[in-house]
Order: sequence, then C-alpha cells, then structure tokens
Amino acid sequence: MSQKQDFTELQKLLRLKKLETPGQEYFERFVDAFHTYQRREILQEEPWYAKVVEVLFEPWVAGVPRLATVAASAACLIAGVAFFLGPIQSGTAHLADGKVVHPRGIVVASAQNNESLQIQPELIDTAAGGDATELRPLYVNGHGAVAYDSRLAF
Amino acid sequence: MSAETALPPDLENGPTDEELVAATVRGDLGAYDELIRRFQGRLYGVIYHLTSNHEDTNDLLMEVFDKAYRSLPTFRGQSSFYTWIYRIAINRSFNFLDKRKRRQGAMSLNELDEDGLPKLDLPDISPQNNPNKSIMLNELQNKLNESMLKLSKEHRTVVTLFDIQGLAHAEIAKIMGCTEGTVRSRLHYAHKQLQKSLGIYLKK
Repeated sequence: MSQKQDFTELQKLLRLKKLETPGQEYFERFVDAFHTYQRREILQEEPWYAKVVEVLFEPWVAGVPRLATVAASAACLIAGVAFFLGPIQSGTAHLADGKVVHPRGIVVASAQNNESLQIQPELIDTAAGGDATELRPLYVNGHGAVAYDSRLAF
Repeated sequence: MSAETALPPDLENGPTDEELVAATVRGDLGAYDELIRRFQGRLYGVIYHLTSNHEDTNDLLMEVFDKAYRSLPTFRGQSSFYTWIYRIAINRSFNFLDKRKRRQGAMSLNELDEDGLPKLDLPDISPQNNPNKSIMLNELQNKLNESMLKLSKEHRTVVTLFDIQGLAHAEIAKIMGCTEGTVRSRLHYAHKQLQKSLGIYLKK
C-alpha cells in the first residue's frame, strides 16, 4: 500500500473525532451561558495590574522562572512605580451634551460632580430605545458612573 | 449532523459576517449573538481538539467570544472575521496549553494518565447496543486522542483544521500566519507521526 493510501486511512480515522461534540443542546444554550459569563466578568472585573501580576508570577509558581521572566518582572515593577507616580487619567470621556462615554457602554448617570447619583432619563432613551428600556445599575466604575447595556440587563 | 459542520438555516440568505460585525459595532447586540451561533460549533471543535477537555474548552470558548467582542471596535477588516476569530481561538488555546504544560509538573498523579499526559475527557461516541464494538471504539478513541496530544500544538492545529474541520491549506495558512508550504510540511509530518502510533488500527 502506498503512503498516500495510508494517509487516506488515517484521515478516515481522524474523521471519527468529528463525533466528539457536546451535543446540540449545549450549543442551543451557549449564547445565554455566554451572556451570564460576560455579566459575571464585568461585575467581577479585576484591575488591570492583576493580569500583569498573574502573567509575571505564574512561572514562579509553576517552577523556576527564566531570566526573561525575571527581567520582565523588574521592567514591569519600574513601569508600575512610574505609572502610580504619574497623573491619574479617567477611562471615561465627557461630551458637550452631558453624556459620559465609557469603554463598557453608554453611561446614563454620573455622580462625578454630585453627592448623589443623578440618572438622566433622556440618556436612557438614547441608550436602547424608549419606554421599554429598563435601567439596571450594572457597572459602577471608579468615578461613580452607572453604565447601561441592554444586552447585559439582569 | 455534527455541530462542527452544522450551519444556521439563515446563513445562506442572511447577512454576511462582515455585516454582522458592522451591526455589532453600531450597537446591535443581537448581531453578535448571531455571530456566536455561526462560529460556536467550529471554534468549539478547534479548541476541544487542542485541549481534549470539555470543561477547558467551554471556558476558553467563552473567553474567545468575550475577547473578540471587546476587540471588535479595533477590528480593521484586513482579514475576514472568520480568520480573525479563529486566530484568537488558537492563540488563547496555545496560551492555555503552555500554561498547562508548565503546571503539568505540579499536577497530582490523579490528574495524569499512565503516559504522564493530562487525563482525557472524552464524550461517549460508542454504540450502546453493541458492547464489543463499544469497547473497541472507546479504545480507538483513547488511542487517537493520546496520539494527537503527543503532537506539538502547531501540528495538532493543522491536523484539526485540515482533517477534522476540512479547511483548505490556504485558509489554514492565513489563520496560522504562515505559508501554505509550512502548512503542508506540518501536515505531512503530523500524518507520519500519527500513522506511526496508530499503525495497528489502520487497514493494511
């Protein structure tokens, strides 16, 4: 038998792996499960430096770190110190019409300049369409703003 | 019909991937749900055949769609959405596999099989009404997956994309960011390795 034919037999065997799927039910529920996952991720969002710490320290936990890891750790430490000594910048942008835009979504209320949170109804309308919209306090960022995202509504 | 090959009924006449991407960026979040439905089966397949573990695949698939959603505003359309999201899935899986490899030394014996590989989490594909055939199929499935896990992640990826998912060499090259020649040579090497370890199961 030629090598080409042998590969054909092998390829037939590999096609068996197509059967290794979790079933249609899993895929039917996946979108809903994904929304739940996204909501959880947003609510439990870790600060950016947690990811850096994880990436840098994972090799130390798993075994002996390489020289590159040690060098990267030192560089990050220096960059981190420089960052905290520098001016703090907000992730939000204030627009002329009073809206606050945040990378997470449309912000419908802000307590940035007030003692209490002021919800701006006209921004709710803008966010996702009229009376049917429900406001949910979904994501409170460091500046006391509430972001609205109809997709992630509880 | 397997979920990997199943296409949603409106794919032929519905909006293109690029139209759905544009709609998502404009704020139509239902469009992203549609993109998820289109790609969930195929991406599940890629990740699963790389990790051989259902739970890890589920977690990684969520991460991939989340990462893609967050990165959509920066998606420039230089490649198709299809290529782009496949790349995210493969990169995430590679990162996961590297991490798992580093941690393998710290795994307990209960988590490893007799070859020192992570224990496989295989769905039962055997016919229930024929016990002998069922045993043989399970053995074959185990052997097949063990052999796949012994390949490097790059070789396993080309086998998955070409032999299991039926992608063309050119598409695989775009996804993996290499030349078609590299894809062909990786595929040839992987086939030889698999043939060596699965020889007794192949028809002579």
